[in-house]
Amino acid sequence: MQLDDFPQLGSVKEIEQGFESFGYICSPKIATAVFLAFQLRKPILVEGPPGVGKTELAKTTAQLLDLPLIRLQCYEGLDEAKALYEWKYGKQLLYTQVLKEKLGDLLKGAKGLAESVERLHQFGDIFYSEDFLEPRPLLKAMQQERGAILLIDEIDKSDYEFESLLLEILSDYQVSIPEIGTIKARTSPMVFLTSNNTRDISDALKRRCLHLYIPFPTVELEERIVRSRVPNVDAQLRHQLVEFVHSLRQLDLKKSPAISETIDWARSLLLLHADQLDEELVRSTLNVLLKFEDDIEAADGELRSILRENQAT
Amino acid sequence: MQSNLVSFIQVLRTHDVRVSPAETLDAMTVATTLGYADRQLLRDGLAMTLAKTPEEEAVFLACFDRYFYQRLSDFSGQDAREDAGTQSPPEVEEHPGEPGRSDNDAAELSPLAAAGSQSPSIQALLDSPLMQSLVNNDRNELTMAIGRAAEQVNLRQIQLFTQKGQFTRKILDAMGEEQLRAAVIELERQQSPALIELQRYRDILREQVRDVVEREYLLHAEGKTKQFMDDVLSKTRLNNIEYIYLHKVHELVRKMAKKLASRHSRKRRQLKRGQLNMAKTMRKGIPNDGVMFNTYWRQIRKEKPQILAVCDVSGSVAAYAKFLLLFLYSLQDVLPKVRSFAFSSHLGEVSNYFDDYPVEKAIELVNWKYGGATDYGNSLQDFAKLALDDINSNTTVIVLGDARNNNGDPRLDIMQSVYQRARQVIWLNPESRRVWGSGDSEMLRYQSACHFSAECNNLKQLERIVDQLLKSTK
Repeated sequence: MQLDDFPQLGSVKEIEQGFESFGYICSPKIATAVFLAFQLRKPILVEGPPGVGKTELAKTTAQLLDLPLIRLQCYEGLDEAKALYEWKYGKQLLYTQVLKEKLGDLLKGAKGLAESVERLHQFGDIFYSEDFLEPRPLLKAMQQERGAILLIDEIDKSDYEFESLLLEILSDYQVSIPEIGTIKARTSPMVFLTSNNTRDISDALKRRCLHLYIPFPTVELEERIVRSRVPNVDAQLRHQLVEFVHSLRQLDLKKSPAISETIDWARSLLLLHADQLDEELVRSTLNVLLKFEDDIEAADGELRSILRENQAT
Repeated sequence: MQSNLVSFIQVLRTHDVRVSPAETLDAMTVATTLGYADRQLLRDGLAMTLAKTPEEEAVFLACFDRYFYQRLSDFSGQDAREDAGTQSPPEVEEHPGEPGRSDNDAAELSPLAAAGSQSPSIQALLDSPLMQSLVNNDRNELTMAIGRAAEQVNLRQIQLFTQKGQFTRKILDAMGEEQLRAAVIELERQQSPALIELQRYRDILREQVRDVVEREYLLHAEGKTKQFMDDVLSKTRLNNIEYIYLHKVHELVRKMAKKLASRHSRKRRQLKRGQLNMAKTMRKGIPNDGVMFNTYWRQIRKEKPQILAVCDVSGSVAAYAKFLLLFLYSLQDVLPKVRSFAFSSHLGEVSNYFDDYPVEKAIELVNWKYGGATDYGNSLQDFAKLALDDINSNTTVIVLGDARNNNGDPRLDIMQSVYQRARQVIWLNPESRRVWGSGDSEMLRYQSACHFSAECNNLKQLERIVDQLLKSTK
């Protein structure tokens, strides 16, 4: 990827504005990370609680650069056959069957076994060539002419072994396939890895990445996010609801409401034609914000005091 | 500029942030890409390459502020003046009569200059660059001089807070403070009016140097002291560790557990695949003209291994039990299911405390509920009632206790039946091997009903044992 091709990534400020035009409001830190990742050609490892826009960051970058987004969702048991490449066994088999009959013509006139083998050798390993290679996401990302955004989602869900597989790709943007050799990326893709921190990522992988931690946003930033995503919500209500969500995050909950939940909530309040937060309204829509029965019960007890406190400020 | 970045990375390393040479190179590229103009930007950028976890990032930010607070002067000239300005002691400004650069001519009237004209040694002192920068209130020059002297005496080697005084002295000597001191003594003898002024200069200088040493100590030594501390803690007898260090030990245990977990997690997976299932492989090959493209494997059906931890929580052993349990429960990712029992006069299962509460809290609860005078016989009987039926060839039983039974019936027969059923019985005794069997200790008898017994009184030993345990529970 050359800078000339992507003037959108010229500076940290430009990236911030570019993202904003696609409705992704980000802190300068996030923009810096994208800028550096592009300049240094390094993958970004994005960590943070679920729902703070880790995946969204990759999607928006793809939109901004107008590049294809290739996504690899990780899960336990993911292996190279599903992530990197696979041989087209069916095609190989079919071709051998078809070509069996041609074999006679090919070997006509050959004297003895040695000569036949010699002749066969001249045809090379056609069955293990790129024509018979089924590219999976990782390989596909490297075959794109203009480059691509590769999103390796929830890397923490994959096995340790899979991480080692990624190392070659992430540091040199190349893949070694035993039968063919090394395939280099045509244009090195921009790689985003996301992790929810359910387990520690190995040091080797971390070392190759820029490390970006996205925390829950500040009140001000979150208000801007809600404004860009749900523009019709009235300013006062927006302030109230963001404040409320922030207070919820202070409680000991199993799963704190994330930005995506705030946006959902704002949308639902809009649908209900609410222009003011009151206890009844909050109670009836709490299930949009909180996804566990225990959490809802815990929050229910605090509702009144939170609302009163927010009103006072 | 580059060497500055490198020494900053050194500082990070002593604060337990692991930075590899490759990352150092990355950091340099980041710095050149972003430039040094925007401090905030540079900090964010460097944080991304150097800190790999949120905790490391916090450490990074603290170090960054501390380090570049004083070193900014190397990056751009403008900020340096401001920074040096904020550093200088306030009392310099408080004395308006003090000669600034412009007052240089008038300085001849000051008592100090007068004293200088009388004595050649004091005049020499006044002409020295050190004194010049003090008198002229030239903070930049002074800061740089201190920096040079610090370099000369290897201030970066500072490790212990007891060295602070020593390094302050060394730096002062390197800067030629001796001359100043001699002059003070001389003036004292003469009872010259210049004495007070000179003394004040001396104090300013000392204070400045002390500041620098203090800052440098915080940067370099704090981390090293911590490493040293960890090392000591892991070798100290656990019940000798002072209460205030307990939280450090918890951290240490967690670190060790993490190390063990990563060492053993990989091996466990490889064992899943069993023999080739020939029949199925052939059957599935029929559609392909009998070509066996895909192979099918038998799965190894393994009985889940199980660990029973039986801990004495009476006063003498409680500290050890605590750490063993902490260890076992920190390892839940790689260890098979752990059931824990606590006893002193009687025994009960405490596993569910660990399910319901965080580990530290659970351990407190256990100690509170089961602490008391020890009765091994009675407790073993309880244990047999609760768990003997569950013990089979996949069970590892770990007993932690000093085997001091207050001369009661040891009930060796129960221990033996456990021994016969279990795959492994491990007895950990915090007492030294030499005193086993002395007095009311039944250790030698219990030992006959164990596959393996060991003394465990510090973290290092504990780590070794848990490592062994992990190997054997595969």
